[in-house]
Amino acid sequence: MSIQEQSASAPSASSLRRFLIVTISGRYLALDAGSVGGVLTIKELESGEDPAIQGVVERTISLVMQLGSSDVPTHPTTRVVLLADREMRGSIRVSDVHGMLEIQQSQILPLPPHFCGVERHWYQGMILFEKSIAMILNPTWVLEMHGRSDAGQERETPRSSVDAWAIGVSDGRTC
Amino acid sequence: MLRTGEKGQREATHSPSNCVVFSIGGRRLAVKTLEVAGISPWKPSIPVGSRTPFITSVVRQDQTVLPVFDLASLLRLRVRGNHPLCLRIKHPLGDMVMCIDEEMPVLHTLEPAAIQAYRGKDIPAEGSYANGLDEIPILAISQLGSCMK
Repeated sequence: MSIQEQSASAPSASSLRRFLIVTISGRYLALDAGSVGGVLTIKELESGEDPAIQGVVERTISLVMQLGSSDVPTHPTTRVVLLADREMRGSIRVSDVHGMLEIQQSQILPLPPHFCGVERHWYQGMILFEKSIAMILNPTWVLEMHGRSDAGQERETPRSSVDAWAIGVSDGRTC
Repeated sequence: MLRTGEKGQREATHSPSNCVVFSIGGRRLAVKTLEVAGISPWKPSIPVGSRTPFITSVVRQDQTVLPVFDLASLLRLRVRGNHPLCLRIKHPLGDMVMCIDEEMPVLHTLEPAAIQAYRGKDIPAEGSYANGLDEIPILAISQLGSCMK
């Protein structure tokens, strides 16, 4: 599929970073372009003949389930982002793909130091995106979840993450 | 020198303290005016998957992203009103915000003699003062958040 590119700043410095911006249940997430192997629909994935991709398809996880928000519906047009980090491969289902964003390294905001739990391993920073923010996902963390799921610990990992997000939802108010 | 220092300390001890008194779920709380960075209308927060107790979302204010301390959850209360306010406080790790009731906070000047130890255990407090039958805790901002020692 074609990915619409947008540039947030003049590409003058060598410290440009590129991220694929996706949405999962209305939350913006940024994936380092270097870890993105492609974006396909489930239909495209299932009709593919590449055994390597087929293997990844079988291991497609819903990150929504890991993060504890409402699920991304699984139908033929659902987008799947293929991820790779060193020797690890996997894929995540997303609600929407917004395109590739090119920004300066200096535009990446660190996670505020007030966050001092395991989430510091989940995110690599934040990007101001539209009127919101996109959390930069750590691909290693995502792919490690694949590994744990494969090892039969699928229940344990999502539950702990769900708890974390459930706290974030608070009592259902907007604040 | 010693006498001067002692006098200065006594003066500081006897100078009135200014507090901002606000409410969450109708419960009144106070924070030192010097630790308040601003008050503005509340904007919806952005959830961040987090395991840090009571800090699980952020708000964006123009080009700044601030962590939200969920004091209402800590107190097991619900923020009141359709138009809650955003209280921005100065924390040693950096500014953070709290969602508070829509009732406009008020400035309150406290004589040192009016400040007493806070008897409650529910929130970190530097002290408290009596307001009728109510005991109003003065928040110890630096102790909010589990990262703080």
